[in-house]
Amino acid sequence: MMRTPGVGIVITGLGVVSGPDGGVDALARTLSGAEMPATAVDRSKGYHLADSARRAVLTGDLDLSTWVPPGVARRMSRPSRLAVAAARMALAEAGLAGKVEGPRTGIVMSTAFGAVESTEQILEAVRLEGPQGASPFVFAESVANAAAGQVAIDTRARGPNLTIVQREAGALTALGRGAALITSGRCDCVIAGSVDQMPPVLHALLDRFGALARPGNGMHEVARPFDRRRMGFVAAEGAVVLVLERADQARARGVQARARLRAFGSGFDTTAPRIGWGTGHQTLAAALARTLARAGVAACTITHVVCGASGSVAGDRLEGLTLRRLWGDEELPPVLTPKAFVGQYGGGFVASAVLAAAGGTFGPTPGFTDEDPEIGVRPHAGGSLPPASPSLVTTCASGGSAAWLLLDRA
Amino acid sequence: MAESGRGPRLRLARPRVVVSGVGAVTAAGWGVASFRHAARSGRTAIGPFNRFPSDAQRTHLAGQAPPGPPRCAGWARLSNSDRFALHSALEAVEQAGLETPLAGRSAGVFFGSSTGGLFETEAYYDELVRLGGRPRRSLLASHHISAPAETVARHLGVEGPVETVSSACASGALAIQQALEAVRCGEVDIALAGGADCLAVTTYTGFNALRAVDEQPCRPFRSAREGLSLGEGGAVLVLERADHAVARGATPLVEVLGTGASCDATHMTAPHAEGVWAAAAVEAALADAGLDCSDVDYVNAHGTGTPLNDAAERATLARCFGARSARMPVEATKGVIGHLLGAAGAIEAVAMTLALVDGQLHPAPGDDPSDPALAIDLVHGAPRAMPSLRTAISLSLGFGGANAAVILGRWDS
Repeated sequence: MMRTPGVGIVITGLGVVSGPDGGVDALARTLSGAEMPATAVDRSKGYHLADSARRAVLTGDLDLSTWVPPGVARRMSRPSRLAVAAARMALAEAGLAGKVEGPRTGIVMSTAFGAVESTEQILEAVRLEGPQGASPFVFAESVANAAAGQVAIDTRARGPNLTIVQREAGALTALGRGAALITSGRCDCVIAGSVDQMPPVLHALLDRFGALARPGNGMHEVARPFDRRRMGFVAAEGAVVLVLERADQARARGVQARARLRAFGSGFDTTAPRIGWGTGHQTLAAALARTLARAGVAACTITHVVCGASGSVAGDRLEGLTLRRLWGDEELPPVLTPKAFVGQYGGGFVASAVLAAAGGTFGPTPGFTDEDPEIGVRPHAGGSLPPASPSLVTTCASGGSAAWLLLDRA
Repeated sequence: MAESGRGPRLRLARPRVVVSGVGAVTAAGWGVASFRHAARSGRTAIGPFNRFPSDAQRTHLAGQAPPGPPRCAGWARLSNSDRFALHSALEAVEQAGLETPLAGRSAGVFFGSSTGGLFETEAYYDELVRLGGRPRRSLLASHHISAPAETVARHLGVEGPVETVSSACASGALAIQQALEAVRCGEVDIALAGGADCLAVTTYTGFNALRAVDEQPCRPFRSAREGLSLGEGGAVLVLERADHAVARGATPLVEVLGTGASCDATHMTAPHAEGVWAAAAVEAALADAGLDCSDVDYVNAHGTGTPLNDAAERATLARCFGARSARMPVEATKGVIGHLLGAAGAIEAVAMTLALVDGQLHPAPGDDPSDPALAIDLVHGAPRAMPSLRTAISLSLGFGGANAAVILGRWDS
């Protein structure tokens, strides 16, 4: 992200639709607790293997009608509903509900998988009834940018409308590029966020590729970021939307920001296979160091790290070694691993990073007991964290991409 | 905020950004030369195809890319979209005179795609539900929409930002915008901007379900037009600062003057009938380029061939160019190769590059003139020489109301 002198970007709205309860307060409670609110995945379609993972952080029972009336929701897929609900929450908090119509408000959403269930419905219709059985409505909602389009229709935000698809790095990239739309002068305000749905077919495929933690010894699956016994992540669904605007604009409106977005950067690990993580922590650490240098931030001044480690064997190793390489012999600041609480995908990770920027009390990392000596990173053991000045938010994606944000307390 | 119009631009002294290399794969063949030849010939590459059975579909044509030459070890394991992307990138980088791998260089990949490895994913799904048990994992290895960009980065050793925009048919143009901004602000010295998409059952069925497909090769802006023709392929442009290109001895092809984007925010699939917000994208691109509408010499239209799109685009041009819109030369590239969806904006930027370099516009296939009701100057029948051509604009309109415009100019040091 280019840093334009005098143009600070702040986060003035946060909308969260993740977990069984939804909402920012519910997320804060989850992060201060000690367990992940995962529930059983529907395995009745037969996609899952017998010994597969069985749980995910789902939104299935969440009542969205307060935010998306049934008449409006009827013309949307599940991901679109989640995103519209989160956008309405975020705009309400920012004091901008009904006030972002026009060409100066942009939208940058991200999704790792898009509307998988819609694609499944089309293929199922073709298989069972032939092409004539496919629904045009379902097709329109099957595109990756359906949620961004529906948020635009709902808000009448008519500025640039982008959907970033960069696997686990997409959410941070959407925030970084959303901020860039403001610093470059293309927008005054950007609605940015992340949305993903976790239908049974996607959950089963992630499991078949060995990505998910599995249950064992009579226990539910646990993510265990950075733990020596980690064996995969716990999948999640949901939507998180943030309102980004210029700091001077927010001040003029008298709005209290949640955090300030200081810088964004990204890199690519060319050793990564098409599915999975590589071993290029030195390359990523160099790219991360360049991001810090451009932002004028020394690693030793970072108050805490919000890390995208999810419990993935190779992903956590790459992410941890990248941090260790950057800090060298110095002690790492406290490392939060929110995906131990909120799961992988659905934006809960990004929302957690925004909450952490204000400081506060966070629970012990669920499932962590044994440090992996190969990595040497111990996640936060629980207790209070100071406000960010700044915090570093990192994520390494399957396939090679990595992204970073620097957040300051407001 | 609601009343704000174009708004103040926070202009800094910006570097000029040029295109130093282009690459493409289309139904016309592998490489820019085959695309250029087909486009100039006035013949369509859209026809019967065999990527998957279409017997039960309403229509039976597509712009399918022919089999291509292997370009790397492991070529057979790549998805169709990955191959389109990689071939296009290798060709573009070669023309740009860049040594590979790019490891250690300040480089990034900015792509647009809407399908990624969807064709292969469909095969996996078919095996999963038909055979049960254990489908071939290799089919799902390129599932992600981001896979084509990642394939390019992996093979070329790109260690900088690698990002994919998936905003339906505006993806390719938006990717160029992302790349342009990354070069302008110094995030990268070199940006590979482009896109890749493949023919797939889901998209073919979906557009048929929408009744948006022509039973003949698509006829953008013609009276008898009935819809689009799906195509597949890839396109890549190498963007870099002009001084960076010149310093390393490269010859810039064209200059990237500006980009703009907007959203209709009215309907998921139908464009705004009066073209109000597509025109806003054009105006934003002109403002970004510091140009006036009178500076534009020709338009490479989105031109899908659907009655709604072409009428909305005509309204957009009228809004932007006034009475001059009836005389504005219009290229309709999709009539040659079909609709490349997430790569459409990228291949149409390649078409503009060729027009600016060659000083001539390619014709739309077919001899019949444009729909009189649309009153546009569609280039058709034969290439049109425009030796004084200096500035071109391309428009992309996508599902979700996403609009994007890209302005290229003749390189003039």
